[in-house]
Amino acid sequence: MAIPLKYNLRNLMVRKVSTGMTVFVICLVVTVFLFVLSLWSGVTRTLSTNASDRNVVTMRVGSQAEMQSVVTRDSADLIRSLPGIERDAGGQPLVSAELLTLVNIPKADGKSTNVQVRGTSSAGMALRPSIRMVEGQMFRPGTNEAIVSKVLPSRIAGVSIGDTLKSGSYRWKIVGYFDASGSAYDSEIWTDVADLQAQSKRPIYSIVYVRATDAESARRYIEAVKGDQRLKLEGKTEKKYFEEQMVTGAPIKVLAILVGVFTAIGASFGAMNTMYAQVSARIREIGTLRAIGFSRRSVLVSFVVEALLLCLIGGILGTALAFVLFNLVITKPTGTMNFRTFSEILFNFRLTPPLVLGGLAFSLAMGFIGGFFPAARAARLKITTALREI
Amino acid sequence: MKFFRLIWKNVFRKKTRMVLTTGSIVLVLVLIVVLVSLLNAMEADPSGGRGANRLVVQHATGLASFLPLSQRQRIEQIPGVVAVSPEIWFGGVYKDDRPENFFGQLSADPQIFFDKIFDDAMIDPAANAEWKATRNGFVAGQNLVTKFGWKKGDHVQLRGTYIPVTLDLIYIGKYRAGDESNIFFHNEYLNQSKWFGANRVTGIYYMKVASTQDLPRVAAAIDRMFENSDAPTKTMTEKQFQAQFMEMMGNIKGLIRWISLVILFAVTLIVANTVAMSARERVTEISVMRVLGFRRSHVLSFILSESVLMSLLGGLVGVVLAKFVIIPGMVKGMQTTPMAPFLINFRVTWQVLLAAFGISVGVGVLAGFVPAIRSSQLRIVDGLRQVV
Repeated sequence: MAIPLKYNLRNLMVRKVSTGMTVFVICLVVTVFLFVLSLWSGVTRTLSTNASDRNVVTMRVGSQAEMQSVVTRDSADLIRSLPGIERDAGGQPLVSAELLTLVNIPKADGKSTNVQVRGTSSAGMALRPSIRMVEGQMFRPGTNEAIVSKVLPSRIAGVSIGDTLKSGSYRWKIVGYFDASGSAYDSEIWTDVADLQAQSKRPIYSIVYVRATDAESARRYIEAVKGDQRLKLEGKTEKKYFEEQMVTGAPIKVLAILVGVFTAIGASFGAMNTMYAQVSARIREIGTLRAIGFSRRSVLVSFVVEALLLCLIGGILGTALAFVLFNLVITKPTGTMNFRTFSEILFNFRLTPPLVLGGLAFSLAMGFIGGFFPAARAARLKITTALREI
Repeated sequence: MKFFRLIWKNVFRKKTRMVLTTGSIVLVLVLIVVLVSLLNAMEADPSGGRGANRLVVQHATGLASFLPLSQRQRIEQIPGVVAVSPEIWFGGVYKDDRPENFFGQLSADPQIFFDKIFDDAMIDPAANAEWKATRNGFVAGQNLVTKFGWKKGDHVQLRGTYIPVTLDLIYIGKYRAGDESNIFFHNEYLNQSKWFGANRVTGIYYMKVASTQDLPRVAAAIDRMFENSDAPTKTMTEKQFQAQFMEMMGNIKGLIRWISLVILFAVTLIVANTVAMSARERVTEISVMRVLGFRRSHVLSFILSESVLMSLLGGLVGVVLAKFVIIPGMVKGMQTTPMAPFLINFRVTWQVLLAAFGISVGVGVLAGFVPAIRSSQLRIVDGLRQVV
């Protein structure tokens, strides 16, 4: 027969200070763990949001990022005649030839950062249905106007509507904000491709962005690009392209595991200490429990459950703390460097259900490690010696 | 000091507890040493502070734009300039696309590179001479050589990413410096490949001026010279140039610092809890000691010393384990993870170890404080009456 849960709960309540401190330690450890993990999942989410497998990025073979690629005007023209591309109402293929560059501009805090500038056209907008204008207007060709992501002004200085952004010899007048719903495009500045070609004196494109009629024709298009000896280009679905960019977040994941493992073992040592103290303070109690008929197994389970409870409370508090932190304290998007492009990608910390479950499981693991050995000691006690203890 | 034995005995009174507490201190200290060393590795000043009179010229719009090679001669004519080497970041793929095989690949002018610019790097003069004479040769940082196990004469193929050529380089020798995460090869060899910018443009100019006082003047002169040209420049000290990469990871840096602080706080709580538990169990004993004539201040210093001693032991074991066992093992284990590029310059300096040890003492003092005061404030009668 099991020892009632109430016994454990009341025991935790009696030793308020000791319980409180242990709970607090677990809480902190869980918060730190969730913090690092959500950093990684934030980067990953940004790079996977709205990435479509119907849209294909056509770039030079070997390029790891759009910016590294070069597509000549002739190649861009050739691409328009390849199979699999969707056509608009007027029968024109849905294709956007784009030029990318990097500008080093000051952040709102005075430091500087690299931001990706995308020269595109209205087609670029049409091809990415998840991106829409939210304020101001679309840039007009031939005017050196630009639009920026609506989250950019909170991080970068001088990119609000009406500002003129300067970097080296580049000049852009910001005329509107777009919302890319948290995807990687939310870290970018968009302008007209011909204007960017003129300003950068590069009469070429970086990539050609194509919308296929469906996933199957996307494959057909990719095959066609590969088969065309004149092009020396390769096609990748947008989804695959961004998946490859995710290596940027990988070191953060390693960091999370590192921090998680070390702090978890450290904290479970703390929990183990608390539980050992509980066992030795309650030896007579344990003897009594055994004397009135509870089995060794019940004692073992009871103490493990008590440790699990202790850590679970910490885990719940830690998750709550992380939740408050991500939703009330860190409201602005955070940035980190994409090592493939040397530009900054913006992302938000967010607590996803898998992360919450992960945090709770993490706390229970600490509870189990911390509780098992003390519980085993309690269960091994001889009734007679336990009762004789003062 | 005459009570040291008493304190020592008390620390080891409950062996399991003592081992667990010092264990958690050890783990946290090792983690902090790793995190701090990682930060240092990311920040690695390639010159280790000695290259203060070096400048880097980049395109004003940023690293994605090239500078015309014609600028080199004009920069060289500015008074105070010692030498200028055009450099191109090749950014190629070695072996495969995996991030652990990523390292810095730069072209340079070998005739002046180690002699006049990167002159605080240590390179065998024979190797340097051979590199100068070998068009397709490259030199690499010691740590990188160790990592990939390159031997003299080895061929290394780098597949270009934004420069669409594949380089076939021969390993000549190694150099030692603060930053050992790069390889250097000939500008001429890259140009021979007839890539689209060959003999026409460069990524940056890496240069040296005669003295530190010349830095601001020369930097301003360069930027003014090209201000209204097709390729305006931004000239920075080497340190500022490196800092721009760090600034972009600024949040990561702050994050690591916060993590370290929070886990330190957590371990302080663990130690405090342990000390408090052990003091609580000894209430009767402490009262008996007081009856025997020990003063409140004695009790205070006993409990506090116990906490400090325990943390000290943890700190000592932690530092030794970190330096000789855990970190070397971990660095080895992480060579095949995406973390690897950050580990090339990873070193555990004695400053960091010393700081970690100091921190452990601090943890001991902070953790022992409250339990020590509470025990010393205890009234003898209450202590004797209490049944634990």
